[in-house]
Amino acid sequence: MSKLVSDDGRTHITSSLMRESLVDRKVIAKTNSAEEFSIMPDVTLVSIGGQSIFDRGKAAVLPLVTELAAIRESRKYKMVIGVGGGARVRHTIAIALDLGLPTGGVAQLVGAMEEANAVFLNALMAKHGSIVMQREHFWELPLYLESGMLPIVISTPPYHFWEPPPVEDSPLPTHGSDFGLFIHAEVLGMKRIIFVKDEDGLYDKDPKKHSDARLIKKTTLGRLQAEMPEELILDPLLFKSWQNARHVERIQIVNGLRPGELTRALAGEDVGTVIMKEKIDG
Amino acid sequence: MGEQGSEQSPRKGIANLPGVASFEQASQGKGAGFDYRPVALMPDVKVLKIGGQSLLDRGRKALFPVLDEIAAAKDKHKLLVCCGGGTRARHIYSVASDLELPTGVLAALGGYVPRQNARMLQMLLAKHGGIFMLHDDFEKLPLYFRLGCIPIMTGMPPFGYWEKPAENSRIPQNRTDAGVFLSAEVLGAKRAIFVKDEDGLYDDDPKKNKNAKLIPRITAKELLALDLPDLIVERVVIEYLQRARFCTELQIINGLTPGMLTRALEGEDVGTIISKA
Repeated sequence: MSKLVSDDGRTHITSSLMRESLVDRKVIAKTNSAEEFSIMPDVTLVSIGGQSIFDRGKAAVLPLVTELAAIRESRKYKMVIGVGGGARVRHTIAIALDLGLPTGGVAQLVGAMEEANAVFLNALMAKHGSIVMQREHFWELPLYLESGMLPIVISTPPYHFWEPPPVEDSPLPTHGSDFGLFIHAEVLGMKRIIFVKDEDGLYDKDPKKHSDARLIKKTTLGRLQAEMPEELILDPLLFKSWQNARHVERIQIVNGLRPGELTRALAGEDVGTVIMKEKIDG
Repeated sequence: MGEQGSEQSPRKGIANLPGVASFEQASQGKGAGFDYRPVALMPDVKVLKIGGQSLLDRGRKALFPVLDEIAAAKDKHKLLVCCGGGTRARHIYSVASDLELPTGVLAALGGYVPRQNARMLQMLLAKHGGIFMLHDDFEKLPLYFRLGCIPIMTGMPPFGYWEKPAENSRIPQNRTDAGVFLSAEVLGAKRAIFVKDEDGLYDDDPKKNKNAKLIPRITAKELLALDLPDLIVERVVIEYLQRARFCTELQIINGLTPGMLTRALEGEDVGTIISKA
């Protein structure tokens, strides 16, 4: 039982952290343990690219909508859909930085363009049971999934005005949509994420610029980090955050311009690029 | 290959405007010849944090004199008051980490306590124009100041479930110190003021070691080089400080010493100043 203690001028509640500094390394290490509770382990997060899919318009988006509708109809998988922002995000950033807005101000702006793509997708998928999940409705996710709906989440993480100063020389916000979706999956204890892009997967260099680019079919986070390609299809911060993560085991990148590829990935097939997090013992 | 699809439905981009840096230039910074000249949004705002464990958990005796100083200063300075958590946050983190819940859940749960504290301060400062605000009200700050109000908010940044898992700890790395620093940084304020119950930064915990020495001024780099097992502010804040464009100083003062906050608001170097360089 927790009691109230006030013997030093402050009123404390007894707990393992009472009176302690949460900056003290030894103290906070006590809060760590090998295991972590998985909140919704059997859900897959599917991310639809902004620039790679949405910005291609009808020809790329509609076949994918049909595929998603069929997947949902099969009721085989619980999934949450995330969407990227694409060209409008890049335009927002270019203008905002030219105006000299601070990094936090830029971060406050970009999410709107991704939210617009969520609304686009929802308009197309509403008759198939989709719903845009607002952030404040975070804990309604089980309700949507149990009732067979297809929640579409906003990918930009809510760092907004409070975006930390960037590490690089560039004033760009660090916490973008790939990272946001990754953390969304991780905090809910999901095991896998599928990124739907316009390439067959992850290459050792950008296949749009180099004809000799080689597709990496299957790899591990460790191997990827040992020789990280310079041009990546996903945000490098995602891989960095994955190191300290406990739940996400598998990240797959598939080509959304090829019908059926997402369905095969959901069924567990190794299409596109599969990146596994090596299970670290202990 | 996706080549066929690409040709049938090319990506629809937005052309760059003449004279405006492209996304590529902007994202590469100075290296690409991009001249980024950031604008300070509200540089004259004084962002201050009222400590949770250090002040609020001491109750009336410690808090009321600080509130009196805030009320007396509010017509002279634009004050943004942010609140820390304290013992209830520690209780939440303790219970939640015992249940092995993820860091993002701890961050979301930990957010409730400083919000309560902000509401308490609002009630106490209401007669002086205290206004409770949420993160979503941040853009209304000019209105609050124009009306002579004292905006009061949580110190916690809005990361919540999106807080990154840390190495070797479940406690969220970005807590109320980080939120206060980041508020000052985005507003373009030069200093963030942390009102605590010690005279400043010491070379050891003054609550445990009576011979601990006060450090009046130190740079972020010097502080990190000391590699102290404990610090007076969250570690991420010292990291951020080194990369800050506007908020280049943290000031830590003792709220239990009468007049200290007033002097800090006047720009005096009381307490400890931790600077970017």
